[in-house]
Amino acid sequence: MVNLVHYAPLYAEGLLTALAVLILFAGLFMKSKAMMGYVSLVGLALSLFLALTANTGSIFFFDTISVDPLSQFFKATFLVVSLLVVIASLTRYKESAGGDEFYALLLLATVGMMVVSSSIDLITLFVGFELASLSTYALAAFDKSRRNLEAAMKYFIFGSASSALMLFGFSLLYGMTGTTRISEIAATLTADFGPASLIALIFVIAGFAFKMALVPFHMWAPDTYEGAPSLVSALLAAGSKKMGFAAAFRVLFVAMVALRVEWYLAFAILAAVTMTLGNIVAIWQNNVRRIFAYSSVAQAGYIAIAFVVVGAAGTLPNSAYVAQTGIAGGLLLILGHALMKTGAFIATAVVAYMVLREGKTDPDDISSYAGLSKRAPITAFCLLIFMFALAGIPPTAGYIGKFVLFGSAINAGLVWLAVLAIINSAISLYYYLRIIMYMYLRPATGPKIAEPKGYMAALVLTTIGVIWIGVNPQPFIDYAMQAAAVLLPH
Amino acid sequence: MISNAITLMIAVPLIGAVLCFAAKSQARIVALVASLVPLLISLQMYTGFDKTSKLMQFVESYNWVPSLGVKYTVGVDGIGMPLVLLSTIVSVLVIIYSWGEHDRANQFFALLLLNEVGVLGVFTSLDFFLFYIFWELVLIPMFFLIGNWGGPRKSYAAIKFFIYTHIASLIMLLAIFGLYFTYRMPDGSRTFDMLTLIQATSDKVLFPPALVNVIFAGLLFGFLVKMPAFPFHTWLPDAHVEAPTAGSVLLAALLLKMGGYGIFRVILPMLPNVDKVFITIIAIIAVLSIVYGAFLALAQKDLKKMVAYSSVSHMGFVTLGAVAFTWLSIQGAMFQQFSHGLITCVLFMSAGTIQHTVGTRIIADLGGLADRMPKFAVLMLAGFMASLGLPGMSGFVAEFTVLAGSYATLPFYTLIVIFFSVAITAAYHLWSMQKVMFGPILPKYLDVHDAHPYEIASMTAFILLIILFGVQPALITDIMGTAAYQVMEPVKTLAQMGVI
Repeated sequence: MVNLVHYAPLYAEGLLTALAVLILFAGLFMKSKAMMGYVSLVGLALSLFLALTANTGSIFFFDTISVDPLSQFFKATFLVVSLLVVIASLTRYKESAGGDEFYALLLLATVGMMVVSSSIDLITLFVGFELASLSTYALAAFDKSRRNLEAAMKYFIFGSASSALMLFGFSLLYGMTGTTRISEIAATLTADFGPASLIALIFVIAGFAFKMALVPFHMWAPDTYEGAPSLVSALLAAGSKKMGFAAAFRVLFVAMVALRVEWYLAFAILAAVTMTLGNIVAIWQNNVRRIFAYSSVAQAGYIAIAFVVVGAAGTLPNSAYVAQTGIAGGLLLILGHALMKTGAFIATAVVAYMVLREGKTDPDDISSYAGLSKRAPITAFCLLIFMFALAGIPPTAGYIGKFVLFGSAINAGLVWLAVLAIINSAISLYYYLRIIMYMYLRPATGPKIAEPKGYMAALVLTTIGVIWIGVNPQPFIDYAMQAAAVLLPH
Repeated sequence: MISNAITLMIAVPLIGAVLCFAAKSQARIVALVASLVPLLISLQMYTGFDKTSKLMQFVESYNWVPSLGVKYTVGVDGIGMPLVLLSTIVSVLVIIYSWGEHDRANQFFALLLLNEVGVLGVFTSLDFFLFYIFWELVLIPMFFLIGNWGGPRKSYAAIKFFIYTHIASLIMLLAIFGLYFTYRMPDGSRTFDMLTLIQATSDKVLFPPALVNVIFAGLLFGFLVKMPAFPFHTWLPDAHVEAPTAGSVLLAALLLKMGGYGIFRVILPMLPNVDKVFITIIAIIAVLSIVYGAFLALAQKDLKKMVAYSSVSHMGFVTLGAVAFTWLSIQGAMFQQFSHGLITCVLFMSAGTIQHTVGTRIIADLGGLADRMPKFAVLMLAGFMASLGLPGMSGFVAEFTVLAGSYATLPFYTLIVIFFSVAITAAYHLWSMQKVMFGPILPKYLDVHDAHPYEIASMTAFILLIILFGVQPALITDIMGTAAYQVMEPVKTLAQMGVI
């Protein structure tokens, strides 16, 4: 007999898995798909509650799954993103055939991400990764338009290649150390394995960097974010991308800590190149979703500063504190960016909904946003807040994340990187302001529309979250600091 | 006395802005009420202000983000109090001047109130974290004011304004990080408290010269761009020319003063701790701003652009008086901030009224308007005279004090200013006034009407205040004198520092 109470900290994952299967099964018999959305909504909300109230500090399944503040932080982020996407989907996938599959895939993707964030074993981590990836491949093609299919194909091919690279890196690690447990790898990897350890590191970083969309592994992101259904883009940019960070944090900071100097250098270059290229390319885009995609790339570059700070902290006298604030800053930006990007992509969904009814073919062109403040005032206002937040204007979640992260970079002596990041923030302001300019300063090109309720609920909730973190950052900073402490030696 | 006066003063316009935005009609009445309340609070603070005290007054302090050492701390001293008063006065009078605004009036007045929130926050924050938030908040209403109600190139001007000043803010933020991560409180924790951090820079061990110079340069850059001082002034003409009149007024009267405030609050107390070459650099920047600004003003064809460059020139006096570092010059520079804040309102309002009654601001196309706009002509003339420094008005007191005080320590620079700018300043004011208002009226302007009553009322109020503070500057300078003394007290004069 299984002792269920023992697994209480994993109820959240269990609930979502059961729900996903249930929805698929019920979909065979039930005509109304609207019900599925509400069931998923309640399920996700309940999981969020369970995940947040779960006791941390326990390990399950033969040392493969750890419930700790770090996994809890990521789980909360993923669940919030999925929750917002489901709220927005209530309007979108109400009547369409296959709505049940949409929700089931979404739930499974969420479970996959949650597994990744709590894995302390490479195999479990890989399985979680694949669960999330396979679900999102299908989601990216969900509306079955030509653009969807192209986006999904690209995402699938690049995603599979990155999984292969990652798996090869893992296999080398296993070959060298004889174990897949992250903590045991850390202990064994201190021995000299010659070039093999370096090759393993390169493959592991390349595999993760695809998911995180770091330059030069970012090529799939703009095409996929542009072509996939808007709400799925929200999930990809805000959720599944952060899964890459969750995995990379554990594998690099804990398992491969012996190679600190090597990944420090690698990420110093990756972070600098990623943010700069992402921002500069974003300036030239006219498709709003491509702008958001490149802005996502740039934000991934900022978040990658966390790796550099941890790497640089190693030699400093107060290294533990510096590394902790660096990771905490990265986590805060991950949370902030998850909210801001979910909101931004949901807003593009509203615009697409509005424009497609007028028979235009390219809903994401920036010209569709002209006069949005008059046509869809709530959407425009929420998007305005997200744009300012992404640019790092206080008091928003984006500002707090950047503040702590860039501050930790200065504290770690990485003044050049902080200066570069700040120059990048200023560059990014240009394209964010450009969207704001279209929404608020251009005349409207059509009549006012009734904004769909599901989208509005999701947008308003996200906006409140983004501002709330900015105004009352203390609990979030505390939480991020606790989560960061998990990754550091005690 | 009201407790939490400052918080209330900041909160009322914020709530007012939300109400204004929601108001379908009569947003202007909401705005007027929401801006009168802070005016009354600031007047009460002024009467209750202890002019002899060097300490912060009306202080409120609450923990905000304890783990980062961030506190919500607000308070005013002799540096902040006059600017708070200026902000509340200008906000009310700008709302009255804009009484006729009908194009999306609810948004317009909400943005004016939001701007007031930002500047009041900047002038009262005593925590760098809070200060930076308000510093950035100010950009947003101004961006929309320029972008929505501006002239033909409004989008370009709005974006240039936002990005240019945002970059300056970010560099300032880096410098703030430099202070924050270097200094620890006695108990080992970190703090964003402005006064503590600024004072800490005198510690030569904690802040070696190389570090303190870099931090100082970053902060200085942030403030000089805002002022704006030559050669960082290029955002200003675009923003001013394109902005609606109310936007220009707020920009020149309040936003530029944020830069000056930063100079007094942050730069001057740090000045003795940094390399002495900075004094020369700042002095040169000040002189170039004054002289070059005046020459640029003389060369303008557009009345509003002329007024914009005159702002660059007049704000140079603030920099000069500050860096001269005598009790008299610092006090004069502080008074110049206050005085220019009042005078420039009249100037921009004049340019705005001419624009919308006549339809052009090009000086060459105007002529003899006094014939049809007699009341307006009197007010505009008074404003221009105040701006060129007519005795009996506040501008004269301020600039005379700056020059007299600066001559003691920076005689060479002061003489350059006197030789090159005084006559030029008089020239462009008189020449443009003569061309626009006097002489025979051009036939095409025969049916021009006088300014609206609310415009006349607002400008009259400004002129009365300018004369009041010109005749009785002690109303404000008493406070500033204590503040100037307080800035200088912990350090030495320039002579003792070995600069001259």
